[in-house]
Amino acid sequence: MKLKMKLVAALAGSVCFATASFADGHLSLDGKKVGVAVVGTQHFWDREAFNGAVSTVESLGGTVVPVDGGRDNQVHADNHDILLAQGVDAVISILGDGAVEPKFEALSGAGIPVFTVDHQSPFGTNNTTSDNYYMGTTIGRYMADAIGGEGKVAVFNAFEGALRICGIRAGLWKYVLQDYPGIEIIQPELAEEFANAPEDARIKTLDLLSQYPEGTLDAIHVGCWDQPAIGIVQALEEAGRTDVLVTALDGGPDTLEIMAEEGSPFVANVAQQPNLIGSTAAMNVARHFAGETLLPQTFVEVLPVLGQEGAKAAYEELGYGTLD
Amino acid sequence: MNQTLSTKLLAVFPIAVFACLFAYLSIESSTFLSLGTFELILKQAVPTVIVSLGLAAVVIAGGDDVVAGGIDLSIPATAIICAAIIADQLTNQGNTLVFAMTLAFGAAAIIGAINAFLVVGLRMTPLLATLSMSVAVVGLTKVITSSRRIGVTDESIVFIRDGKIMGVAASVILTAVLVVIFYHALHRTRWGMNMQATGGSRDAAEISGILTRRFVVQSFLIAAFAGWIASVFVLARGSGSSPGTEENMLLEMVLATFLGAAFSPRRVVTLWGAVLGAVVVSALSVGFISIGVNVFWTGCIKGALILLVVASAAVATKGRS
Amino acid sequence: MTDALLKMCDITKSFPGVLALDNVALEVASGEIHGLVGENGAGKSTIIKVLAGVYKADAGTVEIDGHVLPDVTPRSVHDAGVRFIHQELHLVQHFTVTESVFMGQEEQTLLGLSTRAMRQKAEAFFETALGTEMSGNTLIRDLGIAERKLVQIARALIDNQAKLVVFDEPTAPLTSGETDKLFTAIRKLKEQGIAMIYVSHYLAEITGICDRVTVLRNGQNAGRFDEVFDDSAPAMISAMVGREIDELFPKTEHTPAAPRFEVTDLSAEKFEDVSFTIHRNEIVGVAGLVGSGREDLIDTIYGLAKPRSGTMKIDGVAQKFRAPADAVGAGIALVPRDRRHDGLVLDMSVSDNINLAALDTVSRGTLENRRAANAVATDMSETLDIRPRNIAATLRLLSGGNQQKVVLGRWLNKGADIFILDEPTVGVDVGAKVEIYQHIENLAQDGVSVLVSSSDPGELIGLCDRILVMLRGKIVAEVSTTDLGVDELVALTTGGATQEAVS
Repeated sequence: MKLKMKLVAALAGSVCFATASFADGHLSLDGKKVGVAVVGTQHFWDREAFNGAVSTVESLGGTVVPVDGGRDNQVHADNHDILLAQGVDAVISILGDGAVEPKFEALSGAGIPVFTVDHQSPFGTNNTTSDNYYMGTTIGRYMADAIGGEGKVAVFNAFEGALRICGIRAGLWKYVLQDYPGIEIIQPELAEEFANAPEDARIKTLDLLSQYPEGTLDAIHVGCWDQPAIGIVQALEEAGRTDVLVTALDGGPDTLEIMAEEGSPFVANVAQQPNLIGSTAAMNVARHFAGETLLPQTFVEVLPVLGQEGAKAAYEELGYGTLD
Repeated sequence: MNQTLSTKLLAVFPIAVFACLFAYLSIESSTFLSLGTFELILKQAVPTVIVSLGLAAVVIAGGDDVVAGGIDLSIPATAIICAAIIADQLTNQGNTLVFAMTLAFGAAAIIGAINAFLVVGLRMTPLLATLSMSVAVVGLTKVITSSRRIGVTDESIVFIRDGKIMGVAASVILTAVLVVIFYHALHRTRWGMNMQATGGSRDAAEISGILTRRFVVQSFLIAAFAGWIASVFVLARGSGSSPGTEENMLLEMVLATFLGAAFSPRRVVTLWGAVLGAVVVSALSVGFISIGVNVFWTGCIKGALILLVVASAAVATKGRS
Repeated sequence: MTDALLKMCDITKSFPGVLALDNVALEVASGEIHGLVGENGAGKSTIIKVLAGVYKADAGTVEIDGHVLPDVTPRSVHDAGVRFIHQELHLVQHFTVTESVFMGQEEQTLLGLSTRAMRQKAEAFFETALGTEMSGNTLIRDLGIAERKLVQIARALIDNQAKLVVFDEPTAPLTSGETDKLFTAIRKLKEQGIAMIYVSHYLAEITGICDRVTVLRNGQNAGRFDEVFDDSAPAMISAMVGREIDELFPKTEHTPAAPRFEVTDLSAEKFEDVSFTIHRNEIVGVAGLVGSGREDLIDTIYGLAKPRSGTMKIDGVAQKFRAPADAVGAGIALVPRDRRHDGLVLDMSVSDNINLAALDTVSRGTLENRRAANAVATDMSETLDIRPRNIAATLRLLSGGNQQKVVLGRWLNKGADIFILDEPTVGVDVGAKVEIYQHIENLAQDGVSVLVSSSDPGELIGLCDRILVMLRGKIVAEVSTTDLGVDELVALTTGGATQEAVS
């Protein structure tokens, strides 16, 4: 309950903060052309961050040049070239893997500041992201508690090496587990796909379950996000397995709904606020043009979610509606 | 007279649609009509152009019936497996570029040979054979990369990405050279004409003493070769091998090749058509972005436009036969 | 005729169960146009395929220019200067004339194709060798059929090595206006000293163009005409036919009652201005060669193809058939020539297929009465001699002829006012033929109007009261079968005689 209080305070704080800036009137993107590049709009998180950035740029009086990579990291990278050719004043780049780095370099070389979302880059002016350190350690503690501090855990971890945020989240999750010698991470780790993540994870989980029969597997964790968890939960139901718990990170409405179901194996999550993250990135662009000095990273609060009741409460708090 | 007039109108319709569209884009966007944008369009079209060259060869040799004729859906998969092999060899195994590319060439050759065997030897439908091949190859790629990104910093690859030759992007120049070589081979030599005859009418070609099976086999090998070449440009574009590229490339390749047929005066798949198709598809993407079309609508608008053009070409062909 | 260019002697070729060629001789002198005629199945295409090296003869020799070919293969025959103009055009629709002419024999230098040189050569060839103008850049699909035929000829002869050209039914797809273009080219080739073998069903063309004619019948030589005159056709026909009508037909005179089915000025792509009437109690036949428009006429009548103009009336009421189902709905029974469009369900049993069109007669409410249906099927399978005599057999397992009988059985079972039978006895053995004829005869006596389209002249004469003869898209004659001979009918269908001459 203490935690919950803290969260409400944090949420209220960030909302107040945003409102204050609007009311402030100092911030404006009048006459500015801002490119907003997103790797894909298929997943809730990506779409919400994109929508948050676009609507905030527009509400600050700026013009948006939107580009969508269609889930292809290479197309996403290419899109930055188009933004460069368009002569935008700034770029907000949401997600993406290493393929975009040379593009960021070209943009900043041309004097166009790049504001990244969930993607730390030496060529970026600022990266807006969730508190990934908190997310990684929290989900590590929750998972360890959920399985009683010992057992075998499988992990979907395709992006730890490719994306820094995933490196933080998965790395700190592993860091916490170092203090639980009874917990064993099954090797090799599983690699999920970005496109069609739920279906891909479903099939891989079914394979995994056939290798690890009843009683030999205690949890499946998704290291950096939770779209694969949708497929994992489905696979567990199909296989009739109730001995395996699921933990993951992101907490969009789709996964919170699954967690809120009676007897859901999906027991812990840390919810992010993608819309607010996108919106904050847009505010940062305005602050940059207003002459403010930005820190390299802006952290947006996250909301730990534990169990069925926790999911229902988070769902309501994040403004997705109510679950009964 | 009236009929020939409408036939003629129908013949220029596809070109007219895109001409109008690009005129509109040029007026709407201050940046669209510029050398810089043009170079960008060409640059972004590069991987699609190269895989489309391969598909064009297969369609030319196999005929343009989408189900029974020639088609090779495994070219993008070939490109990404070659890219994965090269990236893995360079970054993870520490081998040289020449060694990595030779290994990838071997993989491409095996894929091409199996495709040819399935289609010519076992008489499988090319659509089915190469689709299955594509699925298998994409699966194998995931095994090689563990579905993870592999970054590449090799100088030659970086040169293809950023380099300039005579002030023009290196990737564009290299691709142009490749296009000219392919064009000469397929459209300007006896060998190429015989390949066209094979696809135009198998019976007619055989009666003229052309060994049609050999040409179909060769077309699949050419396709695999195109996939192998494309892999280098894919690597350059992504500064490494990123998962999830094959799907989009497959779509664009098929679109570009058959859109090209709509542009060709004879309404058949040609090399120039495929190249033009790929450039048009790329120009559409850039153009829509430059006028700020809502991202949720671009796919829909693009699809509708292409459908319109391809359908009009189908009507024109039907009117003629 | 001492300087024989081609001498085929004692050619014998048999296929399992059939002796296709029996000691056949064919001799062609240099520079002549030699006609080769015979009925379907007489062995014309077999001997041409032996000459082409496609079939290997069991016995006999092929001698060209005084040299016996040790091994007759497509290559050795080609090297000896023999070229074949197949009935099918075998052209690529989207190729230009030049590309088509040089297909498989393109000229190129180190720099690539010699496009301009090839175009000039092709255009010059059309001008000098075939006596016509043709642009090398025109696409094949923009050419008429006759011009495409010329392109096909040019492709065979462009290397200027041809001594003997074999034309297989070159005019079959052409209209009468178009044939003139082809004949101009053929005469021009003759002027250049090229010998030709001309295979055709059209006797008027044969007598018009050939110097000598060889007639085949049942795989044997049936005569050679060393001089051909305009009135040689009847003699050729009797050599071709050489038999009397089989005693298969239960022929009785019908007294045609009131008109039932009237077709007026019907035109479509391949035929024009076709008008005829079928009365009650009458069997009318349609005769015509392949390409005469006969098949297209039947397709159009039963709604498979679209008419351009004209009307069809049943009992004075105008009809419009967009699909065969419409024709069936108007009371027409259809027995089509192939089983693609006849609605046979190959995976259902014989019984189910026979009852398919008439389920209501063997049903109580919505339930099919199995026993009644099977009784009908058993009965029908007896009368039509459907083999195997097992009404539960899946149709796919039956031979083509027996499948045909099932279609007929279905309509005999259902009953209709008008029967259209398209090649009703193709692939049917003689015994079953007699039964089918008897059933058709019974239909007419019961007041049904029957239209029979057939490529067998004997069948038409034996079965029908009247025959409409089609030639190049038109009805050129309408004859009563009383005292009509097979030779006369053949003469009419091949353009060897006119209606006036026959009657």
